Amino acid sequence: MTSLKLGAAVLRGAVASAFLASAMSTSALAAPPVDLSKWSPDYVKSIAGTKDFDTAADCAKVTPLDYKGHLTFWYQGVFEGDPDVLRQYYKEFFETFRKTYPNIDLEEQGITYNDLLDKFRTALLGNAAPMAIRLQILGGTEFAAKGYLQPLKPEDVGYSTEDFWPGAMKAVTWQGVSYGIPTNNETMAFIWNADIFKRAGLDPDKPPATWDDVVKYSKQIHDKLGIAGYGLVARKNAGNTPYRFMPQLWAYGGGVFDEASANPTYQNVELDSPQSKQALQASYDMYVRDKSVPVSALTNQQADNQPLFLAGQLGMMISHPSDYNVMQDLLKKTTGTDTAKAQTVIDNMRYGLIPTGPDGKRAVVFGGSNIHILKPEYVEGGKVDEPAAKALICMWTSPEWSLKMAYVGSNPGNLNGFLTTLMKERLEKTKFLDVTTSMLPYGIPFPALPQSPEIMNIIVPDMLQNALTGAMTVDQAADDAAKKVKDLMSGGGL
Amino acid sequence: MTTVTGEAGAPRRTPAARSGVLRQAWINRTDYLYVLPALVVMLIVIAYPIYYTIDLSFFKTPPGLQLKDKVFIGLENYTAILTSEVFWRVTLNTIIWTLASTVVSFVFGLGSALALHRDFIGRGVLRAILIIPWVISAVAASYIWKWIYHSDFGVIGAVLVELGLLSRPPNFIDSVNTVLPSLIVVNVWREFPFAMIMLMAGLQTVPDQLLRAAQVDGASAWQRFWHVTFPHLRSVSTVTVLLLAVANFNSFIIPWIMTGGGPSNASHIWITHIYELAFGRQRWGVAAAYSVLLFIILMTLGYFYVRALSRGERKEAEG
Repeated sequence: MTSLKLGAAVLRGAVASAFLASAMSTSALAAPPVDLSKWSPDYVKSIAGTKDFDTAADCAKVTPLDYKGHLTFWYQGVFEGDPDVLRQYYKEFFETFRKTYPNIDLEEQGITYNDLLDKFRTALLGNAAPMAIRLQILGGTEFAAKGYLQPLKPEDVGYSTEDFWPGAMKAVTWQGVSYGIPTNNETMAFIWNADIFKRAGLDPDKPPATWDDVVKYSKQIHDKLGIAGYGLVARKNAGNTPYRFMPQLWAYGGGVFDEASANPTYQNVELDSPQSKQALQASYDMYVRDKSVPVSALTNQQADNQPLFLAGQLGMMISHPSDYNVMQDLLKKTTGTDTAKAQTVIDNMRYGLIPTGPDGKRAVVFGGSNIHILKPEYVEGGKVDEPAAKALICMWTSPEWSLKMAYVGSNPGNLNGFLTTLMKERLEKTKFLDVTTSMLPYGIPFPALPQSPEIMNIIVPDMLQNALTGAMTVDQAADDAAKKVKDLMSGGGL
Repeated sequence: MTTVTGEAGAPRRTPAARSGVLRQAWINRTDYLYVLPALVVMLIVIAYPIYYTIDLSFFKTPPGLQLKDKVFIGLENYTAILTSEVFWRVTLNTIIWTLASTVVSFVFGLGSALALHRDFIGRGVLRAILIIPWVISAVAASYIWKWIYHSDFGVIGAVLVELGLLSRPPNFIDSVNTVLPSLIVVNVWREFPFAMIMLMAGLQTVPDQLLRAAQVDGASAWQRFWHVTFPHLRSVSTVTVLLLAVANFNSFIIPWIMTGGGPSNASHIWITHIYELAFGRQRWGVAAAYSVLLFIILMTLGYFYVRALSRGERKEAEG
């Protein structure tokens, strides 16, 4: 299996070393439950199923199970691109919480990724926020910086800081104080259709090694078969669109700041560096010069790539392991001859590591979500039921549920989740999971700054669309984006 | 409140007349008490937001600060807006969007109204069909059109490629050149039934005798329309055009859902841009300054709308 060969390459590379060094330095006080220095698919398999946890008993130490209270909770829930199995686990979680804490009156509201931040910001302006919220990884810092969130660390809900990925803890920390707990963490992988590769004259078992190869392969697929080669997405930040451009940007040696370095300072803007421009040029070449990506790339997000891929109209894309399950879900909805076509695509679906840049640099966004508690003055009614909020957070971030809620799309935020029996079962059932877990050491957390959501908008769609539509040249688009980020950081600009 | 219909023709109010108005107000103070609750509600839901928006437009709202910690910067937001390239791009888009949508919707509405004014079999059914775009939810319509236009899955592209007319699906909403016209088509499709209904109502007021008399006098169909029908439609046409213009200027749903203002700001109009600045990018102060400018423009349009309505009422009263 390709993924196993790829897994053996995990511990190589400078990015991995930097990550591990960072991991070691943060774990000086207590050892993490897993040995991050040994991280590889084989290691993940060896630790799975070695420990059992009793979630209810653990959370009872934080909030007694007979506690009577009321909790309002918003969460970034499942969306159109997620598989059905995830919907089932979300449903099961809330049912289990109500059974475990029968006297807590829970009012939960699932909001999609793209709407959550806008809705939350608006609610905060009217002091009508929920008591607790689960936000995308980038969301927390903005609200912590603005003073909306209460300090919250894993120890507050019965866990240890070392139970979580060091990179994930950075994303919930603002000015040295922790304001949330990671629920799940993820890195994506490179997916290709072996059948399309074969028909286009490419080696079906060999994914592109570099981003330059992606450009070449994409053109070859398009020229030979008349379909889209690579699933470029450039729609307004729909969460997953920057996640597909940033690995490319970092691999070429570029970045927004120096976030890809071992010790980022976030001081100098590097979006206009020659390396960043090279990354943008690669996208320009695919969309404008070669026309080898979907015509609708400017209005596409990953959910739009999925049906194209299943229809055999797309050769390569970046995504989660869950895309395999999504394809299975979509297959059930096909009829007639489409079913056989879709089955062929699924049989030919392959996962590999995300390509490197010209200098062998491999990178991926270290993504995920975090859970937070609001300060009472911003909550509807002016009160926060902290024991109720901590009960829910304890359950969600437990080894058991942080794994279940991430089941096919992500990884448990709580590293103990990797030790559970369910993890063993998950590794057996979820195809290609080992590839995405192999990408974890290459994960780069996006700058934990209050300006980060806006910086994402400056990259996608602003910079990418300006270059790809011809509104600006590649150089102008990169310079314009760099200027916008500088203005933003200095508090100026529109 | 002081501009009473009966005084509209007065050239200028003298101090005596003004004191007369105050005296009248005092005499009718009980009447004013009756409308006081409504006035208070209006002050809360209209006047306060207007005041707050104007006030906010003089402040900077950095991403790392809460709105209550905003920083006073005077007219800087207005200067920044008026000197930014995006502002002029968005303004041009707004003008094109408003003018094209209004004119084309009106012309299509007029054509449909004239066609449906005649008696023919199936007129009722056709009228009902033509009204469908107007009664469909704008959100649903936007999503439907988004898929119709979609460059990879869209029906139009698929048909054109299938027929061999194009080798690649056309770019409707992914191109800076075609996105705005494509959105205008959707807007016209949705709005022309409104113009049609308004003008059909107006056509009921055209005296049949006049049209017959013109026909007897040898007037052609165009002459009958231009010299008899159209003058009778003038008032309703003015109102329709003004209502369409204000609605188009304030449009949000179609451009926002279909493109979010993209690609590369090519389909951003004022309202979508203001929303994006406020809720997407948290530039509350800049968004407020934009809103104040928009408010001034809409008030000007509103003034002409009220004047057109008043003129219509006066003519009716004189007639």
